[in-house]
Amino acid sequence: MKQTPDIKPTATALLVAPAAILMFGVFVLPFLFLVVLSFWSQVPGSVGIVPGFTLANYARIIGDGYYLGGLWTTLWLSGLVTLLCLVLALPLARWIVLYAKRSKGLLIGLCILPLVCGALLPTLGLVNLLSPLGFINGALKSMGLIKTSLPLLGNIAGVSIGLVQAFLPLMILPLISTIERIPHDYEKAAMSLGATRLVVWRRVLLPLMLPGIVAGSLLVFCASLTAFVTPQILGQGKVVTFASLAYQQAAMVLDWPFASALGMVMLLFLALAGLLGALVSRGLGRRT
Amino acid sequence: MKRIACYAALTAVSLFPCLPALAQDYSGRTLVVGTWGGDIERLLREHVAGPLETKTGAKVEFLLGGSGDRMSKMVAERNNPTMDVTFQNIYEAPAALKEGLVVAPDAALVPTAANVWAGMNDGCYAMSLVGLGIAYSKALFPEAPEWADLWKAEFKGKMAYAPYPSSEGDGMLAVAARIAGVNEHDPDAAFAKLAELGAPVLSYSSLDEVFTLMDAGEIAAAPMISGYVLSNLGNYEGIGFVFPKDPGPVLVRDMVCQVANSPEPELAQMFIDLALSVETQTAYAKELNFGPTNSKVELTEEEAGRVINTPEEVASLLQLDWSYVIEQRSDWTDRWNKQILGQ
Repeated sequence: MKQTPDIKPTATALLVAPAAILMFGVFVLPFLFLVVLSFWSQVPGSVGIVPGFTLANYARIIGDGYYLGGLWTTLWLSGLVTLLCLVLALPLARWIVLYAKRSKGLLIGLCILPLVCGALLPTLGLVNLLSPLGFINGALKSMGLIKTSLPLLGNIAGVSIGLVQAFLPLMILPLISTIERIPHDYEKAAMSLGATRLVVWRRVLLPLMLPGIVAGSLLVFCASLTAFVTPQILGQGKVVTFASLAYQQAAMVLDWPFASALGMVMLLFLALAGLLGALVSRGLGRRT
Repeated sequence: MKRIACYAALTAVSLFPCLPALAQDYSGRTLVVGTWGGDIERLLREHVAGPLETKTGAKVEFLLGGSGDRMSKMVAERNNPTMDVTFQNIYEAPAALKEGLVVAPDAALVPTAANVWAGMNDGCYAMSLVGLGIAYSKALFPEAPEWADLWKAEFKGKMAYAPYPSSEGDGMLAVAARIAGVNEHDPDAAFAKLAELGAPVLSYSSLDEVFTLMDAGEIAAAPMISGYVLSNLGNYEGIGFVFPKDPGPVLVRDMVCQVANSPEPELAQMFIDLALSVETQTAYAKELNFGPTNSKVELTEEEAGRVINTPEEVASLLQLDWSYVIEQRSDWTDRWNKQILGQ
């Protein structure tokens, strides 16, 4: 059995120090500043900041139906995108694992493509596809299927399409990793005992895929919750998400304390999603 | 000998004020300029940055983005700015000066500023003059519309707006207020009147986006700032642009500012001086249809017809109380989100 070499604590500290210092400087410190700033306030009619403790920013979020509405829209939009990604990714991931064979690497590469080419270009491409004068409406009209353009931009439908396109890889990759570990014999065994395909999926495959489903869902939900570029462009100002509200307050109104409070609320929900994911994973671990 | 030495000393002393200009070498130093991308950046590179680099040996670096981002940057870097020159909107410049983020305009530091039309260097140096008019679909408006025409029932819900806060949005609120018989100091009336136009078809992120839909008649009209619109109209046969008369178009100015306590104040002043020069301002007018602020610029009749370029024309425009408007920013953004977009 291979033994782990002894590493002195000093050496460990030296190895970890560069990354730790970097993380402290560029993440922890700004994050702490964000927390503090969210309890400060802006001088009315000015870009100046009053560094005194106040809960006014949080009271404004809780007390204003517009911001609560934005939060609710963001949460259910993220849930919808997660569900759509799951429904699309499950059969695709399974097909890649079982049947892709030599093209598997290529297919996985294609799946990852939306992640590596950034949010802006694919989103602008989608504007051309989805606009009233775009490819989809043009094609449907030329086939005589519709007379007036379908509204695919400036609504939840358009934003959902954009977010699913952007975050589908986050669901596919954990699922591929999980499905690869499921022996194909299980499925055959279940069918030999009389289980239908539906029963095999419900009683055998889905339970075994659950770790991948949980991991993928968590990633897609959190990414959708904080997405800014896609909702901003495809929503055309009519789909209000928390990220777009925070951007408006930070970059255009310059009310940084309020924008920080909006950011903190978003982080709270990210933490809650992470906690839920961890609890489910722990439950799954105990069961297996 | 003493006399010669004395003359030499006197000559040296008399030449001293000229010495910095003769001896200034800014090689190895970098001037950071924040501005908008596209044609503005191109013109600034050609007419300002290029000549400045040749003259001084310094390098000019552009930071491209929206003016809101630059305002944020100035606030964030208040004690240690990295940007030397910034281009801001008319409503941001007085606020930036009030907050001590920029240096007050001074013709002693930027000599060409003396040629800018009187009263325009408000907060920062006035760079260009444009007006908020109406871009409209010719299919839906056979004749160029007045502001009041936008309120006809058939155009309800067929407008497009720039994302708020913006000078377009504030200008449109001021117009709505005047249509309602008041001014921007009565935001209740302004928002109520503007809400009558219905929720917009979209808040556009690019001119192409809105022009494509307007060309096809899906959008009836949009309040837009003249310069870029006029430059792009050639690509869209179905779109017109008009400066309405009642009230007149809203005056909007782009301002160029020297950032307070910036690393390269002298280079910043030289950059601004070149930006306000007759050559740069003429290029702005000819290529972008942005009205010159330099009173020495001479344009042909045809060129002058496309831009706002005289004090008389400026006097005919609707001028807002921008100091008041900027103070309402937070409140009005909430109201815009709820009452205009959220209908």
